[in-house]
Amino acid sequence: MNVTKNIKETAKKLLADKKVDLVVGFAQGSLPLRSTPYFARTPEEAENLIWSATCENNLANFVRKRPEKVAVIAKGCDVRAIVGLIKEGQINKDNLTIIGVPCVGMVDRKQICELVGCKDILEVTDTGTELVLKGKDFEKTVAKADILFGSCKTCQYNTPVLFDELIGEAVPAREADYADIEAFEAMSAEERNAFIAKEMEKCIRCYACRQACPMCYCTECFVDCGAPAWIGKSAASVDDNALFQAVRVFHLAGRCVDCGACERACPMGIKLSLLNRKMVKDVKELFGAEAGVSLEDPPALNTFQFQDKEDFLL
Amino acid sequence: MIINKSEVANLLSKLACEYRVIAPVGKNGLVEFAVLKNGEEPRLDYINTKKPGKEILFPQSEELFNYTVDAEGVRMQDNVDPQATVVFGMRPCDVKSLVLLDNVFKNDQYEDVYYLTRRNNTLIVGLGCNEPAATCFCSSIACGPFSKEGSDIFLTDIGEAYVVEGISEKGKELLAKLGLAEASEAAKAAAAKRQQEVKADATVNIEGLSAKLGGMFEHPFWDRLHEKCLGCGACTYLCPTCHCFDIADEATDCNGCRVRNWDACMFPLFTMHGSGHNPRPGGKARWRQRLLHKFNYFVDRYNATACVGCGRCIKNCPVNLDIRQALADVRALD
Amino acid sequence: MRNPYLPLPMKLVKNFTETSDKLIHTFTFEYLNEQDAESFQYQPGQFAEVMVYGKGEAPFGIASSPTEKGILKFSVAKVGVVSTALHMLEEGTIVGVRGPLGNSYPLEQLKGKSLTIIGGGFAFTTLRSTIQYILDPAHRGDYGDLTVIYGARNPGLLLYKDELAQWDARSDINLITTIDREVEGWTGRVGFIPTVTKEVAPKTDYAIICGPPVMIKFTLPVLVECGFTPDRIIMSLENRMKCGIGMCGRCNVGSKYVCKDGPVFTKEQLDQLPNEY
Repeated sequence: MNVTKNIKETAKKLLADKKVDLVVGFAQGSLPLRSTPYFARTPEEAENLIWSATCENNLANFVRKRPEKVAVIAKGCDVRAIVGLIKEGQINKDNLTIIGVPCVGMVDRKQICELVGCKDILEVTDTGTELVLKGKDFEKTVAKADILFGSCKTCQYNTPVLFDELIGEAVPAREADYADIEAFEAMSAEERNAFIAKEMEKCIRCYACRQACPMCYCTECFVDCGAPAWIGKSAASVDDNALFQAVRVFHLAGRCVDCGACERACPMGIKLSLLNRKMVKDVKELFGAEAGVSLEDPPALNTFQFQDKEDFLL
Repeated sequence: MIINKSEVANLLSKLACEYRVIAPVGKNGLVEFAVLKNGEEPRLDYINTKKPGKEILFPQSEELFNYTVDAEGVRMQDNVDPQATVVFGMRPCDVKSLVLLDNVFKNDQYEDVYYLTRRNNTLIVGLGCNEPAATCFCSSIACGPFSKEGSDIFLTDIGEAYVVEGISEKGKELLAKLGLAEASEAAKAAAAKRQQEVKADATVNIEGLSAKLGGMFEHPFWDRLHEKCLGCGACTYLCPTCHCFDIADEATDCNGCRVRNWDACMFPLFTMHGSGHNPRPGGKARWRQRLLHKFNYFVDRYNATACVGCGRCIKNCPVNLDIRQALADVRALD
Repeated sequence: MRNPYLPLPMKLVKNFTETSDKLIHTFTFEYLNEQDAESFQYQPGQFAEVMVYGKGEAPFGIASSPTEKGILKFSVAKVGVVSTALHMLEEGTIVGVRGPLGNSYPLEQLKGKSLTIIGGGFAFTTLRSTIQYILDPAHRGDYGDLTVIYGARNPGLLLYKDELAQWDARSDINLITTIDREVEGWTGRVGFIPTVTKEVAPKTDYAIICGPPVMIKFTLPVLVECGFTPDRIIMSLENRMKCGIGMCGRCNVGSKYVCKDGPVFTKEQLDQLPNEY
């Protein structure tokens, strides 16, 4: 089945029938291995919509608090964020049409870059399971499954948990896999500290992580607040950079949908999702809760039960 | 003149006796400008450093001065940095960006002593690009992979060696002291060939663009350009010509320092008034500012375009909002 | 190279609660070093960055007039970190002042001309500087008729009440004060600035106007009606600023920096610029 073709047709029909004013999806990007968020408002514009292994952005970001009727082309993680946002009153479900697309994972530009020694890739052909990468003086074929984003490799919700229409066939769910976090937990406190410090040293405080996060929508982020200034604004302070991420992770406790958008957006290649996934794992273990998997589940940190674990309290 | 690649490390050690030597090095998986440690080899095979060269003269975070207030009054310690420095192996786009930033940090009334002191004590060794990236468009914007503008000394990679040219008086003086061998005619010809033949993308046409943008403030074009922008600062922080900054105090009680940090027109608080009124309230106004600042306001003020075509904003944008496309779209408008 | 970022030390000699809501204080500073008093040469309309050690600095219009020697005055509303810290300072505290910054009202060009000055709310500070300057015996003869229209929400919110009383008693200035709603004991006018301006219908060569955006918006058409051409209406802008020297890049309106090319612009100049202030 040609997913791109079906997306175009579905979007065109929704727009032509005036069921929605806008379809948010992806268009071909300006570089190989890039696609780009796209806003189609007419059936003609819907012709530009595509689906590929590079549709890496979480589009839930673009459907929050919109006045018009919107349809969104959403993969599993986008939908988890949408579910979370509906529950937090950020999206009016009545005005949103979810065109779900089961997703086997998006490919990671940074891993691919390393595979070819970061030489310029000029052309990419997707054969279905493999990508053929062509540059000025090289050609390399890689299996897509080997170069997925970390968050895609461990994704358990490839098939959207909520949709009005599903394009493509449901993908069976994976077993939970927190091997990366378990390895992190197995490190000594000093090792973990050193690891985080090394990562945070790269931070330039561009806040791409926060802006790309569908669940980070505070009108004024604590890090920007000037009175009081909770945290230093200088990127030179590794401690402040780490504090920023730590507070972000805590604010996302029980809300992070583990989409990895933060890590993908980071221009400096900081391993951000490690901290978030540690929290995701803890919330799951402590409260049996997962964010954005059902409209009915109460938000993990907004409910209290007597059997809730509290051994982490001092 | 000429220097074999195998002799570069020696040359830099020699320079390090008199200068602080800053060069691109591999760090945490990225290529960054850093002060070369004793015996450390620079990475000269890079396309572009992750962070732009501006950070050498205009660091992301900089303590301007420290102060102490006590019974005896106020004492201030100014942190001007006059250390003689050689930057070795900076790409022409980054070198050009410094020429542009000079306009900003020295205007008709004021001089930014922190930037200018560093600038005046820094000698730039530019390094031509044999293989510009697909995102590079310096050849479109008054620059180019072998543009020597702003370099004191210029290197052209001819395989085994660099052909070395003294550009400024300062550069020629240093070269005279270094005693490098003269380049053979063949080497000079090889360098000339590279300089002539290698081009980056030259299809971004900015001719007449400033005038056109000047009349476009109210154009509906801006309504959609910003739509996919997340509002982060990756493009501006990694841009070699973006120079906006914030000034803040970091202090305990009355003792502290005045800090300058990079800031970005993409952030809402950048222009927010104390009253809560914001003259640039959303992505539309902010993207308009970004494009107009680079391609119209800067031209108005300094008669130059505030873009060098390094492509960092294109490579690093989380949503692939490509400035080349934005410029082409402006051009295509009636 | 003179470092434009370094503040001069000054001593707070008076922290005066200016308005009945206590949200605006007027601060009087004295130079600690005599040579600083010589070097700090300013004109009405300019501003300066005032620094509270340990808190930071913020830009404020200079409310004193250069004719008041040895001191600087600022009237500051309590809105941000620095202004709040300023409000709490004890007299005798050392602060930093960086400036003067920006351009000024074109008082040279206005010589021999009659003038209407219109102010609203607490945006009366640099206008006070201008009025003091013109009323100074050394300068009064250089200027023609002077009309001042000044309004606030209620009498308690008017700044410089003692001086208003003194000006009112003089014959070489026509002072009209107004409040938004009638209050017992108030003898001035009642009504918004645009309405009062229309009633007064000033016929002077130039007008200087400073106040909240909504007041400006509705007063400008009245001035045009009164016959002021855009080149004869002078305004002062207030964008967010940091460096004050045209480098940090946040206060621009089009290609002009409010901090360096302004804050004073004629309406004619502003009509050429985008509406981003």
